[in-house]
Amino acid sequence: MSQFTDEELMRKVQEGYMVEGPEDMTEGYRKALRVQLTVQADTELMSAPSYWMAARYAPSTNTQVSAHAIIQDELAHANIAYRLLEDIGESKEHLVYGRQPHEFKHPYGFDQPLDNWAELVVATGFFDRAGITLLTDVHENTSYAPLKRALVKIGMEETFHLRHGEVWMRRLSKAGGEARELVQRAVDWMFPMTIEWFGLPDAMKRHSGQLDFKLKGLTNDQLRQVWMASTVPLCEELGLNAPAHWDNVKGEYVLDYPFPCQYDAVDKHWAFDEGEISWDSVFERWKGRGPMNEIYVESVQRSRMDVERWLAA
Amino acid sequence: MTTLSLPVVERRRHAGLPPAVTSHMSGGRDQWSPPLKEAPVDTVQGTWDLLQEVLDPEIPISLPELGLIYGVEFDDGVARIELTFTATACPCMEFIREDITDRLESEHWIDSVELTEVWSPPWTSDRITPEGRAKLKKLGVSA
Repeated sequence: MSQFTDEELMRKVQEGYMVEGPEDMTEGYRKALRVQLTVQADTELMSAPSYWMAARYAPSTNTQVSAHAIIQDELAHANIAYRLLEDIGESKEHLVYGRQPHEFKHPYGFDQPLDNWAELVVATGFFDRAGITLLTDVHENTSYAPLKRALVKIGMEETFHLRHGEVWMRRLSKAGGEARELVQRAVDWMFPMTIEWFGLPDAMKRHSGQLDFKLKGLTNDQLRQVWMASTVPLCEELGLNAPAHWDNVKGEYVLDYPFPCQYDAVDKHWAFDEGEISWDSVFERWKGRGPMNEIYVESVQRSRMDVERWLAA
Repeated sequence: MTTLSLPVVERRRHAGLPPAVTSHMSGGRDQWSPPLKEAPVDTVQGTWDLLQEVLDPEIPISLPELGLIYGVEFDDGVARIELTFTATACPCMEFIREDITDRLESEHWIDSVELTEVWSPPWTSDRITPEGRAKLKKLGVSA
């Protein structure tokens, strides 16, 4: 157990102290780290079946290779995060194979079906950009040294995912016609989906152990701004409509729709015209999980027990 | 592509946030020198020098440092590059080809680029140059 109290450790990490292992942690630090790593691991893990089911829409063997390389990276990144969780006393076996679908902590965006190649490439362009936005911040600011070291390679690999998304978004947009319409339709539901992913606005955010213990550096609103600062100009360059604009007076990106708002997962439609809803209703929707939640989790877990039984026979 | 990144950087500075998360500069595009005013005397060496600016899409070391370039010939405005990839399932083949072509064809003395894939001898990490190895070590990546 740590020789520090929570308050002492919070002060020390703000001064640059790096935590190397459980012996340096307080229980408060361990809990905050566990929550952050679980979200990170589950997000990487659940992106894999989501992309995997969409990879069948790849238009060539070469693009199949690229799509599967992304899936391979995501699984490896999940593996690293679960391994870090094992270091602080959690069980990877339980986390991956012992939980019910609704117990996973990945964002609602990875509970949605990706129904064509355009949706897969916008997902790598938007969702992976959210992932790299969050992880770059953690890499630059985290007080947990093993996580900082693990993120060096993860960051490099994620840039390839982004480029894959951007190159294909550009290609399909330039082609015009149906290709462009499909990209725009994907942007229409995935842009607000990613905005929501970053969570509660700072003004409503309860106390954040992650920031107090310097497990990350930027707030939810700052991370949303970082994501928009590269996503909105990309959409503008490609002639795609993104529901946000740069406000010169405020000096930040501003959303052009009520936030948060309701989402119809069947039609993949955000009800902008129905106005702002409460965050409690958003949490309720997240808690109910999305249409692919059980299918994605089942695809990861399904053979575990069978093969264990065969091997034990 | 460079024109896109400028307003982004400007806006972000204004917002007091860290550098943009973007892959527009993948392949080392932000470090590419402006095109040469005059063709180099040694066009083969000049082509190698340009390739030295093209970075791997995932790891920020150059393609020659990674040992992917097997040969360079130059003949009458045509740059012929023999290259390999780290694996037959390299997911970045297309990006690497695009980066080489974009960098070389930005030079007025290079009319076109011909890329030939070579799989023998196969690439191994032994092909990484000492300079490349030193950079990787600095990045915390073992080779």
